[in-house]
Amino acid sequence: MTTGVAITGVGAVTARFTGGAATVSAFLAEPSPVHDAIADERLVALLGDGEARRLSRVCQLAVAAGRLALDDAELRAGDDVGLVLGTEFGDLRSTVEFADGYLAAGPPGLSALIFPNTVMNTMAAATTMAGELAIVRAAGAIASGRARAVLAGGVDQIDPFLGSMLADLGAGEERRGEGAVMLVLESASSARERGARILGEIMGTASGALAARPHGVGRSTQSSVVAEALAAASVELRHLGAVYDSTSGDRGRDHWEQRLLDTALGAGHERRSSLRRLIGAHAGAGALGVAAAAGAARRSGQVAVIVGP
Amino acid sequence: MTRVVVTGLGVVSPFGLGVKAYWEGVRSGTCAIRPVTLIETEGFRCRIAAEVPDPVPGSPRRSRADRLALAAAREAIDDAGLGVAERRRAALVVGAVGGGMLEAEGWYWPAKRGGAPLCPTPALRSILPYSHADVVGSRLGLGGPRETLVTACSSGAVSLAVAADLVADGVVRVAVAGGADALTRICFMGFNALRLLDPEPCRPFDRARRGMSIGEGAAFVVLEDAAHAHARGARAYAELAGSGMTTDAFHVTSPQPDGEGMARAMMAALARARVEPKAVGYVNAHGTATLQNDRIEARALRSVFGAGGVLVSSTKSMIGHTMAAAGSLEAVATILALVHETVPPTVNLTTADSEVAFDCVPSMAREAAVDCAISNSFGFGGQNVTLLFRRL
Amino acid sequence: MEPKEVLDDLRTIFVTRLRFEPHRVSDVTLDTPLPKGVDGSVGLDSLDFIELSLAIEDRFGLVMDDAQDLAPHFASFRTLCAFIAERATTA
Repeated sequence: MTTGVAITGVGAVTARFTGGAATVSAFLAEPSPVHDAIADERLVALLGDGEARRLSRVCQLAVAAGRLALDDAELRAGDDVGLVLGTEFGDLRSTVEFADGYLAAGPPGLSALIFPNTVMNTMAAATTMAGELAIVRAAGAIASGRARAVLAGGVDQIDPFLGSMLADLGAGEERRGEGAVMLVLESASSARERGARILGEIMGTASGALAARPHGVGRSTQSSVVAEALAAASVELRHLGAVYDSTSGDRGRDHWEQRLLDTALGAGHERRSSLRRLIGAHAGAGALGVAAAAGAARRSGQVAVIVGP
Repeated sequence: MTRVVVTGLGVVSPFGLGVKAYWEGVRSGTCAIRPVTLIETEGFRCRIAAEVPDPVPGSPRRSRADRLALAAAREAIDDAGLGVAERRRAALVVGAVGGGMLEAEGWYWPAKRGGAPLCPTPALRSILPYSHADVVGSRLGLGGPRETLVTACSSGAVSLAVAADLVADGVVRVAVAGGADALTRICFMGFNALRLLDPEPCRPFDRARRGMSIGEGAAFVVLEDAAHAHARGARAYAELAGSGMTTDAFHVTSPQPDGEGMARAMMAALARARVEPKAVGYVNAHGTATLQNDRIEARALRSVFGAGGVLVSSTKSMIGHTMAAAGSLEAVATILALVHETVPPTVNLTTADSEVAFDCVPSMAREAAVDCAISNSFGFGGQNVTLLFRRL
Repeated sequence: MEPKEVLDDLRTIFVTRLRFEPHRVSDVTLDTPLPKGVDGSVGLDSLDFIELSLAIEDRFGLVMDDAQDLAPHFASFRTLCAFIAERATTA
C-alpha cells in the first residue's frame, strides 16, 4: 500500500443496536446474540417517512447506516467521497414484489416505483459486493490515491423467499440476520489533516477465489490470502492478535474455513471469533468485523485480521 | 507507472457467437432488434429486443446468462493465449445485473400461477448476479481476486475500470473483466412500466427518438500489465489508458439535467490517462435513445469536447441496451474501432436532434484513424463510467 | 364522475401505489400541489408521476398520451381530478 487507510467512522443499524463507533464498541464489549428482524417502524423513524416512502427496506437500512457513519466521522458527503456497498442477497423482496404485481394483474399491475429496486445497487448507487470485499475495494482506491474518502460496508435483510431459496440450494444451516454496517475510510494523511478521530488503520488487504459449490464447500485447504495480506502490511504472523472469521453455523462451510485457517495461521491460533455467529450471517456482519478488528488492534496494540472463505 | 493493455477479446452478441461476427455486424450497420421470442410480451407497448440467436453454447443446465458469460470469457482467454499458471493468478471482475433471473422467472411464474414450473428449482442456484463469476472462474481456472460489481447499466464498464485498477495497483498482472446479461421478464417489463421503450427499434440521437430497445449478450476482455504482455509475446489491441467513475447523487432513474456527473467521469478518465480532450477522436456513447439520456449526454460531451469536437455513435442502435453487458460490449466496439481505424455508425438515425451538436456517424461506418477513443456508460442512480482507450 | 369521487380514489392510489402513510393522505385537499419543490406539496418526483399515471390508467380506464405535456394536469389534486373526471371511462 502506498497511502495509509484510516477508519474514521462507523454506522450500524441492527435490531439491537443503532449508532456510531461508541455504540458498536459498547455492544462488542458486552455482546449478546442479535438474530431478530428490525422493526419497519424503527427504520421509518430513522429516516423520516418522507424519505422512507421511496426507499425499499434494504435501501432504508443502507442509507440510515451510511448517514450514521458519516456523522460519526464528522465528514460531509460530497464529490470526493466514494461509495462501495456489499450485499449477499440484495433486494430480492422488491424483485418478488415487482413480479407479483404482474402475475396478479398483468401489465397494469407493474410498478414503475419498485422496478429500480430490483437492480441490486440502484438506490444506494454503488458497486455491490459482500461486506469485506467492499472494504477491500474501498481501501484499494484510497491506498492508490484514487479516492480521498470512501463510505464502504454491507447490508442484507431477512427475506422469506431467501429461506426457501437457500434450502433449494442445499446450503447448510447458517443463521441469517439482517442489518447494515458502514465504515468511513480515509487516507490517513487527510484524516490527520482535518483532525479526525482515527479508529484504526487498514494496513494490508488480499482476496482470492477458491473453487467451491455455490454456498458450498471446496476441497482446497490452501489459500495464500492471509500471507498476502500480512506481506502487504509488512507484519509477521507471530504479531497477529485477534482473528475474525466468517463462520456462521453452517457446519460444512465452517469446518472448511477452519481448516483453511489452520493451514494459514498454524494450528492452535486461539483468538478466532466470528461476528456472524453473534449478529447473523449478512454482509453487514463482515463490515462489523473490520470495525471490531480495528478496536481489538487498538486495545492490544496487535494486528487483527478478517477472513472469509 | 504500470500501463494496462488489452490482450484478449470475447463476445456473444445479438449478431451471434464471437468477436468476428460482432464486429462484422457493428461495422456494417446491421440492426439486430427484432420481435421478442424468449418471453411473453402480450399487452406491452414494446414487443421487440435484440436477442442472441440460437444456439447459445453451453450446457442447458446452466442459466442463459451464465452460458453467455462463459462463452465470451473463454474466447477472450483463448484469444489472449493465457496459460494455466497465468489463469491461476488472474483476477476476475464481472459486471452483472439480471443474473439467472430468466430461469428463476421460469420457475416462479408458473409456480405462482398454480401450475407446474417450467424448469426445476436448481434454476435458483444461478439467480444471483455473482453466479456468472463463480461459473466463469471455476470453469476457466481463474484463482485471483474475484468480484461481482452491480452498477445497473454501467456494470460492464465498471468491471473493466476496477480490473484495470487491480492491474495498475500491482495486485495482479492479468485480469479478466466483462459483463453479461440475458433478457429477463423483470427487465423487459420494468422498462415498459417506466415507459422508456420505443415500440420500434431505438433511434439514438434522432429528433423523433422515443426510447430504448433492450438487448442481451456478454463481452469479456483480458487486461494485462503491458510489461507482462510484452514479456510473454502477447499481441495487444489497445491500451486502457484511463477510467473515470462518478455518481450524480441526484435521482434514482433520471440523470442530473446539466450532465455534470457524466462530464466529471469523462474529465476524470482524461486526467488519469493524461490526455487532452482534442486527442480524443471518437466517443462510443451511452446513447440509449431515451429523450433524457441523449440530450443530457450530448450536453456533457459538449462541455468536455466542445461542439462537433469528436465523432459520436451509439452501438445500442444495432444491439439494443444489453444492460450489464453494454459497457463491455461497447468497450470492445471502441477497441476495434481503434484497431480497424473504422468508427461504427449510429443506425436508425434520420434527423439528428438539434440539441446534439455532433456528427453521430449516421447509417454507415466511417474510416478514421483515431488515436484515443472513449466509451461512456451511465446507470440508474446516476452511476457514470468512462473508459479511455489509446491506439498502440 | 364527480371530482370528489375521483379524489377519494386518488387517496387510495397514494397509499397503495405511492406508499404514502394514510395520515398524510387524509390531510390533503383539492388545493394541495403535487410536484416536489412546490410549497406545501406532497413532493412527487418524475418517477412518482410515472407510477401515478400507470395507476390512473388502470383505475379509470384512460390512456395518457406521452407526447402531450401533462404537467399542467398534474399540478394539484384539483387539476388532476378535473382531468380524470373529464376522461374517465370506468366508474
